[in-house]
Amino acid sequence: MIEVRDLEKRFGDVVAVDGLSFRASDGSVTALLGPNGAGKTTTLRAIYGLIQPDGGQVLVDGIDVGSSPLEAQARLGVLPECRGLYSRLTARDHLLYFAGLRGLRGPEAESRCSALIELLDMGDIAGRRSEGFSHGERTKVALSSSLVHGPSNVVLDEPTNGLDVMSTRTIRGFIRKLRDEGKCVLFSSHVMQEVAAVCDSIVIVSAGRLVAHSTPEALLANTGQDSLEDAFVKLTERGTVPA
Amino acid sequence: MKGNYPLVGVVLRKELTDGIRDRRSIISALVPLAFIPLLLFFGLETVADQFERELEIDVPIVGADHARPLVEWLDRQAGIETKEGPAEPRTAVSEGDVGFVLVITEDFAERFSKSKTAEVQIVVDGSDGRADRASGRIRNLIRAYSRMVGNQRLIVRGVSPEVIEPVQVDTLDLQSGRERAATVLIALPVVLLMAGFVGGLQIAIDSTAGERERGSLERLLVNPVPRPWIVLGKWLAAVTFSWASVGLVILSLWVVLEHSPLQRIGLRLDVGPYEIVGLVSLALPLCPAVVALEMAVATLARSYKEAQSYVSFLMLLPMVPILMTMDAPPDPELWNLFVPVLGQLVLMNELLEGQALTSGPFVMAAAVSIATAVALLLVTARLFRSERIIFGRTA
Repeated sequence: MIEVRDLEKRFGDVVAVDGLSFRASDGSVTALLGPNGAGKTTTLRAIYGLIQPDGGQVLVDGIDVGSSPLEAQARLGVLPECRGLYSRLTARDHLLYFAGLRGLRGPEAESRCSALIELLDMGDIAGRRSEGFSHGERTKVALSSSLVHGPSNVVLDEPTNGLDVMSTRTIRGFIRKLRDEGKCVLFSSHVMQEVAAVCDSIVIVSAGRLVAHSTPEALLANTGQDSLEDAFVKLTERGTVPA
Repeated sequence: MKGNYPLVGVVLRKELTDGIRDRRSIISALVPLAFIPLLLFFGLETVADQFERELEIDVPIVGADHARPLVEWLDRQAGIETKEGPAEPRTAVSEGDVGFVLVITEDFAERFSKSKTAEVQIVVDGSDGRADRASGRIRNLIRAYSRMVGNQRLIVRGVSPEVIEPVQVDTLDLQSGRERAATVLIALPVVLLMAGFVGGLQIAIDSTAGERERGSLERLLVNPVPRPWIVLGKWLAAVTFSWASVGLVILSLWVVLEHSPLQRIGLRLDVGPYEIVGLVSLALPLCPAVVALEMAVATLARSYKEAQSYVSFLMLLPMVPILMTMDAPPDPELWNLFVPVLGQLVLMNELLEGQALTSGPFVMAAAVSIATAVALLLVTARLFRSERIIFGRTA
């Protein structure tokens, strides 16, 4: 479970996150939805401990990220915005490296890597150096190496951004599988179909503030709109012009 | 941080794998080898230079008035300049004020004019190699003068000079092979330092500025690995390459010298196990500090390109002590040992000059270097916590 409490973060004069609070539960997929610059990436970075908040706190399974970053990170699997790979390492090298960084080694690391390679359909690229990988292949390698330790909380920054249909479907299926295993999945997106397709709960942020937090169905009902997209537009418009 | 030490090994192994597969890392580790021919060439140049410089000799003379013709003749010889000698020749020489003194005895003029053997003395400290060679040359010149005058006297008396010279000896002076070797190798410390600088450079940059530029730093740092362990692993990988580069230079130089034709022209190159061990034990402890500095600077740089140019500037830094020690080798002072690079240079020069050294200075220089490395690593680990460093200046 991931809990964000009154999170605040400023960069100079710019307020990126302004008192944001929400909770992402186990066994469900929570979407952090918002326009570009709404503070999604900053919020996620605070959750995985690479940004020091100016106010508020983040709890991962009850562990305060601010005071115990390593313990919190140990319970997280993270796919950050940047999916840079080591161009001279193969897909399998990547998985083994990240398994190693998580303290896994030997046959256990090997078997986990093999399982992920099969699950994400990476058999043909497992032994190839990542130089020249397609965007979809890069994302798969980055995603699988982020989750090689089987974390109970998964944070994904725009996981299907820029992917083709097939890769998107593979990753959506993977996200559902994680949820069915009882994990807490939190991902950010600005793509409506994405959110509609997989999430159980939507957190809408705009200008660093919480605009709405509910299920997709409740969101539609509350805003009186037919589609999530219309609901989103309506809510964020309201959000950017605080009453 | 308990129980996390193996994570250093995980990072180290990955960076080594990455480095070995990177053509640029391999090239940067091998580049210093290209300087060995240059080194030998440069060394030979300095030997030639030294021969020439030895021809320039100042001759302090006491009692020059007793033998004006001799003094004037000496003055006319190429590279020789006579001057007034010190009042107390023995004291002056033994205290090192002058290398040697030519003393002309008071009855020189009288005996000379009566065609009797007149006497001059050369006061010299034989342990001072340079003065010994210079005075040797003066001795030979005076002998030549003596023979010349003697021949004239014989001719005046109607005797052929060949009568008193049944055998003529020509000597090619190649004394003091050890010191010659030192001059051949005068640039060796510089090449070794360069190997230490260049060998690990590519990994130092690629694993810091490069890691961020390719967008993998964030994914690395979300793992629950203490920053110092990450930095330590990367550093060890770069140090390994730096060491390999230094090792290759020493190894190949040894091979080249063992099989070089230099010995045939009379230059004995005394680089034995003693010198090799000494050089290695000076160069290797320096690499960790150099690599740590490169990493810290590359981490601070805004981009890969910027890191490359900063680190290239860094290479100019050791040029200062190099230039200081090369042109006028200073008498080593204690504080030299506390300055990384300078300390090693001074000790390397002493070692190559064939001076026996104790292990104290070596340990001291190494300790300073390791302490510098640790301090720089802590700085880098700290930098890896900074949001500005992790996400770039734009974040």
